[in-house]
Amino acid sequence: MKEEDTQDLLDLASELRWEVGENFHDTLVEGIYADAAQIAQKTEIKQGEPNPYSFERKLDQVLTSKKYGFPIMILILSIILWLTIQGANYPSGLLANFFLEFLHPILKTGATHIGLPWWLDGFLIDGVYLALGWVISVMLPPMAIFFPMFTLLEDFGYLPRVAFNLDSLFKKSGAHGKQALTMSMGWGCNAAGVVATRIIDSPRERLIAIITNNFSLCNGRWPTQILIATIFIGALVPDGLSSLLASIAVIGVALLGVGFTFLSSWMLSKTLLKGEVSTFALELPPYRPPNLWTTLYTSLIDRTLIVLWRAMVFAAPAGAVIWLISNIYVGDLSLANITIDWMDGFGLFFGLNGVILLAYVVAIPANEIVIPTILMLTVAHLNLIGAGDGVMFELESTTETAALLRAGGWTLLTGINLMLFSLLHNPCSTTIYTIYQETKSWKWTVFASIMPVVLGFLVTFLVTQIWQVFH
Amino acid sequence: MSLFLEMKQLFAAMPPLLNLGYVLLVFSILLVVFILKKYQYSLRWLLPFKNTEKSITEDLLKQLYHVASSRRTTDFKMLSGALKIPERKILKIVESMTQNGLIKISGSHITLTETGRNYALSIIRIHRLWEKYLSEKTGFDKSLWHDLAETKEHQLSNEEAEQLYEELGRPRFDPHGDPIPTALGEMISETGTSIAGIPKDTVAKIIHIEDEPRSIYRQIIKEKLHIGAHVKILASENHHVIFESEGHSIQLSTVVASNIQVVPLSSQEVYEEGKVRLSSLIEGEHATILGISTECRGANRRRLLDLGFIKGTLLTLEYMGPNQNPRAYRLRNTLIALRNDQADFILIEKTQYDRTGSL
Amino acid sequence: MTELEACDSCALNNSAQLLKLGINVENADYVIALAGNPNTGKSTVFNALTGLKQHTGNWPGKTVTRAEGGYRYQDHKMKLIDLPGTYSLLSTSQDEEIARNFILFGKPDVTIIVVDAARIERNLNLVLQILEITDRAVLCLNLMDEALRHHIDIDERTLGKELGIPVIKCSAIKKQGIPELISTVHQVATRQIICKPHRIKGLSKPAQKMVEKLDQKIRKNYPGLPNSRWIAMRLMDADVDIIKALKNGDFDQVLT
Repeated sequence: MKEEDTQDLLDLASELRWEVGENFHDTLVEGIYADAAQIAQKTEIKQGEPNPYSFERKLDQVLTSKKYGFPIMILILSIILWLTIQGANYPSGLLANFFLEFLHPILKTGATHIGLPWWLDGFLIDGVYLALGWVISVMLPPMAIFFPMFTLLEDFGYLPRVAFNLDSLFKKSGAHGKQALTMSMGWGCNAAGVVATRIIDSPRERLIAIITNNFSLCNGRWPTQILIATIFIGALVPDGLSSLLASIAVIGVALLGVGFTFLSSWMLSKTLLKGEVSTFALELPPYRPPNLWTTLYTSLIDRTLIVLWRAMVFAAPAGAVIWLISNIYVGDLSLANITIDWMDGFGLFFGLNGVILLAYVVAIPANEIVIPTILMLTVAHLNLIGAGDGVMFELESTTETAALLRAGGWTLLTGINLMLFSLLHNPCSTTIYTIYQETKSWKWTVFASIMPVVLGFLVTFLVTQIWQVFH
Repeated sequence: MSLFLEMKQLFAAMPPLLNLGYVLLVFSILLVVFILKKYQYSLRWLLPFKNTEKSITEDLLKQLYHVASSRRTTDFKMLSGALKIPERKILKIVESMTQNGLIKISGSHITLTETGRNYALSIIRIHRLWEKYLSEKTGFDKSLWHDLAETKEHQLSNEEAEQLYEELGRPRFDPHGDPIPTALGEMISETGTSIAGIPKDTVAKIIHIEDEPRSIYRQIIKEKLHIGAHVKILASENHHVIFESEGHSIQLSTVVASNIQVVPLSSQEVYEEGKVRLSSLIEGEHATILGISTECRGANRRRLLDLGFIKGTLLTLEYMGPNQNPRAYRLRNTLIALRNDQADFILIEKTQYDRTGSL
Repeated sequence: MTELEACDSCALNNSAQLLKLGINVENADYVIALAGNPNTGKSTVFNALTGLKQHTGNWPGKTVTRAEGGYRYQDHKMKLIDLPGTYSLLSTSQDEEIARNFILFGKPDVTIIVVDAARIERNLNLVLQILEITDRAVLCLNLMDEALRHHIDIDERTLGKELGIPVIKCSAIKKQGIPELISTVHQVATRQIICKPHRIKGLSKPAQKMVEKLDQKIRKNYPGLPNSRWIAMRLMDADVDIIKALKNGDFDQVLT
């Protein structure tokens, strides 16, 4: 069609629009619904009972009530997290046994057999392979448990009720109630949580949800929290109470994360993302029995494997880097030791140490390898000879780990600050990549990556200063 | 390494209280940054770029246009007061405006030339188009529209304004009910009377709410009054007016009320006695939707319509969230949760009538 | 490609447009779109039709997830595209834009519209909008078991007559009605069933008149455009995307 004809058409349209007034949209929708009502009346055959949804109504009244709404929600989420953490232990152990205890020595022997030079063998098998093995065995089981359970709740229709219950809290911080869902999804995996923000329509509120998702303690960080809490906080009280106190500390850190989510959402909506008022219209679908097998299959394919694949892609080079820095020597010291010494002063300033900082730098790809890296670096730094020299490892018992860390100069303050820093630091590179994929903006990706670290340093600094006041 | 170690030693050497001082310092810096951000619109006059010659010229033209259309006269002193710019600076700019043929000066009176009038209208056009844009396409709160448009009116070119006009579907009125001048400088005028001056028991429709001065505008929008709303005067006295709108009784001082313009209802319009906001429905009550307030615009309005909140629909408030907000309404056999500020936009009539027992 | 040639009735003249929307049609005889409101069990219908042989990804340039899959019926390869679940096609959210553009510019051979049988009045909003755009559609009355449990039944013959398209009662989770759905979709795709879709009648008189006037002008400019009335309504509503599409000449391409 010619350009002038198009212009002609548009002119006619706007002329008519002036005549009909500015509410044609209302007229149109009302017209459609009028037709719909007529057709529905002709075709719907209702029989019997006037109140067909009484069960759902009752269930809703309990699940969204002032009294039971929040307790039930917290209970369900705790059960899911508990099942995930506990249930993942065993398969994780099996996988770790297979990849790290069984296959690793075979590969090493094989490499020696075919005469691979030590550096290539170390680089590939002790570096890349070990990192991959670690990521798979620590990451796969919890995700394979967490995501299907989450999807089942979603299909059952409970998740919209969670958004409904929590909306008033999110509204106060300028965000959307659906952020409750992406936040809980973040407890499984931040990258998946960031992808899940797609359910939020408004770009502004979606961005808030993306940026603050990192404050949800993800699967990769729970083990770190639990280990450190057991070693340093659990030890403060008699044995009988220690696991209770450690659990409370871990839950406290997770709740602190929720607090930071609200706080930073509020700050963002008052400053950088100021202006646009939230809208909220949410359908609360009827409760329906979920389709178990399809759910298991699709959540495994759609969420778990995609995230795992991304994590592996990032973990492989990280493994290589970790091996390289501990095995390249300048003079008497390995690169790792040089960096640790260099960072130590800075780290102590924040109540951390050089080992922790270096571990967080090289373990950006996956939070799962932070603890093995810390142990490896501690051993290397203490110049202990023996197993694990220049190779990531984990110790069989918590007591051994505790002894090693204390030998590395760790105190209660270090433990507390590591827990805080594990909550408040940059997202893992999988998440950073996902944030870029979702926002298509370098600016926001960089912001979302830097903001939590700055916050982490601020908080650990404050804790350290206050600590020093009392000690 | 040594640098950090030294810093560490430095800090360690300080008395603990001094460290707390540092903490307080960091906090107070954060606080100042936050306050500056929060009140950036109110503190805008602090910023240097506002007073460029172009924007002062344009603000002057607008002011002169408003003065002329209310058949008043003005002089340097009044202009200086209105724009909050020193007289000296006004004098300088007025001089160059006279040279450019935008204004005429006779004695102390300043009047617009034809060119100046057209220029002023084009600025008003951009201002009102931008307010329309903000109301339709963005979620900015309406208390911010005016200030944002005040800045934008000096930045958009006429071509960009034209494009905006097309994209908005060639609107005729801005969200405050003011007519938008056409590109040729024509403007429809719809005149109403101030709500302060009309007798008791009159029913009328709000057609215009003046958005300046800001403090008065804020008071008006706090009462959730809006263009298109029907009002019924309950009492009109010297110092204040009391009237009813959408089921709420509102008392305003005469000064505030005189910024609200109303017209009598047309022959097709009926004042609906029982018309209230959806937010006033309580648990288990039924209602029929009478319509969505014109105040609800753009994507928000379309979303509500798509979800089926249209004239004639029956609905029930099924239950409320733990904090009474949001609330879940059942309509067409579907549960939909809305926040209360959205429910404020939906006008209903409470009803006992229950079509089939299962709405 | 030999199979393509074997299929005479296949309407694949739109493959360029489809490719632009990110759909690879090389291996398909017919392209079927799956539309519907959220919470109508649309993905269950999708799974029931395709099994678990599906591929998920994003719509080009968008963050909205797309699932596509396929099935065979009577030697024809059907490609099924799951559109985002939406309440309407009139607002301008990303989801709605994708669903709208796919039906409008992708011109699928059949559009399956999934509705919740217990909430038909509300679901018809989207159905009636889709029927303004395409005249090849099948209505899938899903969740029939749930509706019956709540004492709601649907007279599907009257509904079919009113809408002018075939109506199939389903309960996808129990795989009830799926074979009928498959064969009906095939019949619509191969033009054994010709639909006479419902057109929106409820507009006010003056609005109707104006739409008519605009529609005539569009038909004069684009003879043969099946959804000119819908475009007229979108222009009356100042839909920026449609105005842009007109200016870009997108509708010229749809016609070729």
